[in-house]
Amino acid sequence: MSVTYVDAIREAQEKLLREDPRVFLYGQDISKFGGAFKATKGLAEEFPGRVLDSPISEDAMIGMAVGAAIEGMRPIIEMQFADFSSIAFNQIVNQAATHFYRTGVPVPLTVRLPSGGTPGSGPFHSQSMEALYAHYPGLIVVTPATVSDAYHMLLDAVALDDPVVYCEHKFLYRWLKAPRINGDQLPIGKARITRPGKHATVVAYSAMVHEAVRAADRLKEQGGWEIEVVDLRSVKPLDIDTVLASVARTGRLLALGEAFPWGGVTAEVVSRVCADGFHLLDAPPRRLNSRDTPVPYHPKLWAAHRPTPETICIALRELLSF
Amino acid sequence: MPTVSILMPQLGESIAEATVVRIGIAPGETVQTDQEVIEVETSKATMGVTTLCRGTVKEIYAKEGETYSVGTLLGLLEVTEEEIARTGVDTVEAAADRRTADAASPQQQEKNLHFALDDDSYEEAPAVVPSVKGLPVPTGTMGAHYISPRMRARMDDMGLREADISAIVGTGAGGRVTVEDLEKFLNYIDTWPSSNASPMRMAVADAMRRSWTRPLATVGLPVKLDRVLEHRRNQDPKPGLTLYVLRAFALALVEEPATAGFLIGQKVVHPRAFDIGVAVQVDDGVVVPVLRKVDQKSLSDLTKDYAEMVERGRRRRLSEDDLRGGIATVTNFGTFGLTSGTPIPLPNETLILGLGAGVKKPVWSNQVDAFIPVTEAELVVTFDHRVVDGGGAGVLLSRVAQLLQSPEKL
Repeated sequence: MSVTYVDAIREAQEKLLREDPRVFLYGQDISKFGGAFKATKGLAEEFPGRVLDSPISEDAMIGMAVGAAIEGMRPIIEMQFADFSSIAFNQIVNQAATHFYRTGVPVPLTVRLPSGGTPGSGPFHSQSMEALYAHYPGLIVVTPATVSDAYHMLLDAVALDDPVVYCEHKFLYRWLKAPRINGDQLPIGKARITRPGKHATVVAYSAMVHEAVRAADRLKEQGGWEIEVVDLRSVKPLDIDTVLASVARTGRLLALGEAFPWGGVTAEVVSRVCADGFHLLDAPPRRLNSRDTPVPYHPKLWAAHRPTPETICIALRELLSF
Repeated sequence: MPTVSILMPQLGESIAEATVVRIGIAPGETVQTDQEVIEVETSKATMGVTTLCRGTVKEIYAKEGETYSVGTLLGLLEVTEEEIARTGVDTVEAAADRRTADAASPQQQEKNLHFALDDDSYEEAPAVVPSVKGLPVPTGTMGAHYISPRMRARMDDMGLREADISAIVGTGAGGRVTVEDLEKFLNYIDTWPSSNASPMRMAVADAMRRSWTRPLATVGLPVKLDRVLEHRRNQDPKPGLTLYVLRAFALALVEEPATAGFLIGQKVVHPRAFDIGVAVQVDDGVVVPVLRKVDQKSLSDLTKDYAEMVERGRRRRLSEDDLRGGIATVTNFGTFGLTSGTPIPLPNETLILGLGAGVKKPVWSNQVDAFIPVTEAELVVTFDHRVVDGGGAGVLLSRVAQLLQSPEKL
C-alpha cells in the first residue's frame, strides 16, 4: 500500500470535512465527477451537500467563497487549473487578500491551484502562479513537494485564518508515492533540508525539489559533490533563515524554480541572500527557471523548456567552478 | 567637390578615446596623403591622425585639449574627383547616398520602425567596445587575486590580510584560496611555536603593508661625509649626522617640491610645509617623530629640537602631534652598521631618504697625486614611482649630496 500525492490531498479534504462542519468544497466538476484530477473522488457521496459543483466562472467561485469565509465558513476552492485562477485574480488579490486589513474580519479561505507542467499540457494547463500571489500582502502561498506535506499543509492551510493559495503540482499527483503519510510535519513558513550537503545549496520548491535531488545524486556520483537541497515548502512566508544557514555551510546558491524566469520566487531568494548573506558567498548566486516563453505543448519542447536534472547539473557545475 | 572625413582612428586594442594635443592644419590648407594633421594623446602614447588622401582642409571640428572617442568626425577635406578615383577612398556623400538607399529598402524601413520613438538614433555609428583579448576592459580580477565575499568575511573575522595568506597555495577555481585552504593552513601553522605580536609590531606592520600597495623604487649614490664630520667636530652641542642629512634633504625638496607630492586619483597634492620625520628604532618597532618647517630653521636651531624629540621617541613619550603629517622621512640605518638598504616610505609619504654607514676608502686625488682617505656612505631614496621617476629622484639625491659638501651653509 502506498499513498500518492493526490491521495494525500483527497485524504486531507476528507478529514477536514469529517472534523470541521465549517469546511465545504466548491469547484468545477468536483462533485459526482470527483474533479479533473480525482482529488475529490467519492467525497460528494460521503458528505452530501458539502462538495459542490460551481459554474464555469472562477470569478464567481472565489467571490462566493470570500462571502462564505466572511460569514464563518472554511471553503476550499478547487481551480481546475492554476492557469485559470487569473480570471479570479481580482477576487483573490483585491478582496480576499485585503479584507482583514480593511475590516478586521478574516477570510479563512483556501484556493487549491493544480499547478506546473506535465508532458503535452501546453500553455494554458502548465503554468506556475505562486510568484503572482506571493507578491500580494495578505496571502499565504504554499507549495508542497512531498506526500506528507501535501496532506499536512492542506490541513494547516484550512486552519489558518488568512486566505491561502495552495499550489499542488500536477506532475506529482500520481508520480509521487510514499509508503504512508508521516506525522513529523513542519509548520507553514518553515523550509526543510531535503538533502544535506556542503558544496552548494539548491533552493527549490514543489516538483523542482525532486529534480534538484536527482541532479544532486548525479553530481555525487560524477564528482563526489555534496549538494544541499532546501525545500522552501511555503514561498510566502519565505524561510530565509534556513536558506541563509544553508548558504553559510556551502557558500554557493542556486535558486531553482519551474516558473518563468522574470522576477518571481527564485529572484526573491537570490535578492535576500545577496542582501543579508553577501559575506557567506563564494560565488555569485545563480537562478535556474523555465525559459522565457509560453509553455510548449510538444513533450520534447516541454522538457527543453523547464529545468531538468541535466540543466540543473550544468548550472551547478558552473556555480561550483567559479 | 566631394568631401572626405578625418576620423579619430582606432589607436590600439584597448583605446576607446584620445585627447587632441595639437591641430596642425587650418581650413583652406592643402594636405598630402598620410599627412599627420592632428596630434592626439592616449593613455599610452602620442600619435598622429593622418589624412586618407590629398585634398584641401574644409572644416576642423576638433578642438585642442578636448577628448574624442574613436570614430568621431574631427574634420573634413575637400578632395577632387580624380583623387577619389585614384585612391578609392570613401566620401561623405557616397556614404550618405548608401544610407538613403538602405532606408528606402522595405527591409530597412521595417527595421527603422523599431526606432520610431528614438528619432534617428539608428543612424549612429555602433559603439566602440574596447577589449583586451576579447574581454571588455577593465578585465575582471579572477584567479589568484580574487577573494570571495565569504573568504573576505572569514579573513576579517580573524584579522587577516592578503599578505597573511600569501603562503597559501590556492586549490579553488583559477587557483583561488578557498576557506578550506585557509583553515588547513591555519591548522598547520597552529603546530608551530608562536607569540602575540605587540601593538607596536602591529602598527609598523599596518603602515608597511599599506605603503607596499604602491610601486616603490629605490636609487642610491655614494656621498662623501668628511666635510660634515669635520664641521660637526667644531659644534657644541654636536648635531647628529642624521640632522645634516635631514636639513640638506629639506633644502633640496624646497627646490623640487613636486618630488614629495602625493598622487590621489588624478591629482598631485603638493607639500604644504617642509616637515620631515626621522625614523627612530624603539623596542620591537620604529617611530617617526616629525620636525616642523625644517627648511626655515638653521642646523643649530634644529639640534636641540631634534635631540629632545629623539629622546622622547626612545622613551615612547611622543604625542600624536609629534607624529603627524610629515612629507618625507629620513632614516639613518648606518647607525646599525648597515652600508646599504631599501627603506619603505610611510604610507602617507612619497619619499624616504636613507643613509648607510660611513666607510673610509682610499680615493685617488689628482691634486696631491696620491691616495687620500675619504669617508663615504651610501645615500638612498625610496620613492613612489607613480609620482617620481628615477631621474627626478636622482636629481634630488645629487642635490642632497651636494649640499652636504657645504655643511656650514646648512
